[in-house]
Amino acid sequence: MRLFNPNLLLAILLPLAVISPLIGIALGTADISLTEVVGAIGRTIIALLEPESKMILADRIIIELRMPRALMAMVCGAGLAVSGSVLQSVTRNPLADPYLFGISAGASLGAILALTGGLTFLPLPICAFLGSLIAVAVVVVMARDGQVETLVLSGVAISFLLSSIANLVLYFGDPQAMQAVLFWSLGSFSRATWGTLMVPGIIVIIATAIIYQFQRPLQALMAGDESAHTQGVAVLPLRLGMLILTALMTSSLVAACGGIGFVGLMVPHIVRMLIGSASSSSLIATALLGGVLMVWVDLLARLILPSQELPVGVMTAMLGSVFFIGLLVKRKQGHR
Amino acid sequence: MEVNHLNWATSSKKVLDDLSFTIERGDFVGILGPNGVGKSSLLRCMYKYMSPDSGNVLLNNRNISSISHREFASKVAVVLQHTPVGFSMTARQLLATGLINQQKWWQRIDHCVEKVEIDRVLSLVGLTDKAERVFESLSGGEQQRLLIARALLQKPEILLLDEPTNHLDVGYQVEILKLIKNLDITVVASIHDLNLASAFCDKLLLLREGKLIKSGTPAQVLTPASIENIYGVKTEVDRHPQGKHPRVTYHFDGGRHAAV
Repeated sequence: MRLFNPNLLLAILLPLAVISPLIGIALGTADISLTEVVGAIGRTIIALLEPESKMILADRIIIELRMPRALMAMVCGAGLAVSGSVLQSVTRNPLADPYLFGISAGASLGAILALTGGLTFLPLPICAFLGSLIAVAVVVVMARDGQVETLVLSGVAISFLLSSIANLVLYFGDPQAMQAVLFWSLGSFSRATWGTLMVPGIIVIIATAIIYQFQRPLQALMAGDESAHTQGVAVLPLRLGMLILTALMTSSLVAACGGIGFVGLMVPHIVRMLIGSASSSSLIATALLGGVLMVWVDLLARLILPSQELPVGVMTAMLGSVFFIGLLVKRKQGHR
Repeated sequence: MEVNHLNWATSSKKVLDDLSFTIERGDFVGILGPNGVGKSSLLRCMYKYMSPDSGNVLLNNRNISSISHREFASKVAVVLQHTPVGFSMTARQLLATGLINQQKWWQRIDHCVEKVEIDRVLSLVGLTDKAERVFESLSGGEQQRLLIARALLQKPEILLLDEPTNHLDVGYQVEILKLIKNLDITVVASIHDLNLASAFCDKLLLLREGKLIKSGTPAQVLTPASIENIYGVKTEVDRHPQGKHPRVTYHFDGGRHAAV
């Protein structure tokens, strides 16, 4: 039933997680060799240790432009995949994804307000972050009984409500803003800098570390609330805590990169198919695979058309759709 | 464990009505009664999943509502009537969740200790060779034995079981109850089959409409009058040829008999 030993999967993913961002840095409008990339990273570390030495221009392109982008893709993929995996466990719904609780709709509304009027005094990422946090806060308050059904229904209701408000603001707003909002909502890593990477990077690392410690109670939740309760799990605090952590991760990522769908849905499915969801390595494998996949999707989005970059969100949606259609076909064949 | 004046009601029905009884250490207590009489609700109050409207449950003279989830799971383990294990969990992975009560959230159980503990309970329930099988691929009897094994990992003082033999064939029913009987811990189980309850339980509690109608040894509780009073079925009760416990034979139309 299983294709991979969990340790074997980790042994494959770990080197991939190191090599993929390096390849992501090396390939672009002007290709740079991997040796040059590694050399630039080495020289930058030396420059940081010895303030007298100066960085050359080529190193600056690698370190200041391409590296934050590759790392942002890695962090974004890992964060969305981990969020999806956790939400699928706490809602016992294999179709749950990080945007289930109105996070995307809240972020879009924040971004639209930043672009069209109301909140122009704040930068777009901050408005998007605040929008998604407010959406999640409302969902959490509505679903404070901790029941899965209430949580999902509240998320769907808030999502539709915020989307309709966002559309209304756009309808009466500046037509140019609509273009800007569309570009933002399709997702891109082109705005990634060390500055924009800092907040989502720190949040994703800390949240993933905390979630890793709660893997066992999360696995117990997969057998239902009542069963988890009998194992000594405080179900309500665990579910709300995990919801807040995943909301923080997703909000910070949406604010920095826009709405990138399907990764949070697809990657946990792939890991589950490969090693199952209850292995102690599954969370790390999910994070690594999400990160690696996103780096390669970003690379594809940059290189598939000459001198033009496709939105990452469109690429992930296409990949995700093909993946799920393939899964469906395979299942139908299996039933025959 | 002491249950004192327990009351619990839904918006339209009183489910538990002033229930009081005591479970002695080492006893195997069976809860009997027709469908919808409140057996599962009573057990849910006893394992802290539901809070009673009034009354309380004491464990070693402490109100269970004041005991933390983790500490309670170390004293009382539960095997539910239905455990929806999904996400392709293997037997070993499911069992590992039975060790949650032995660790704080920032701690991780040593892999070797975990393996030894899981192997011990797998051997106890005779499923050593099924450790890496996916839960859903096991037979009903094997699934139930595995869930009992997970409960035993909690090292409880009391084991509560909600209809542990439900949906199992006769062979598995006897096998599961033999397994539970030989555990040498306090057991409280809701059971539908009167003859199995009579054969395996030390004490029985007979419920009707949320009230405790009769309690005592199988011989005291399983009388033709009380069975007809509760279930509306005429019976003949004699002594089982292989033991001292009562044997119930149901009467059908025209006085035909069938030993069940």
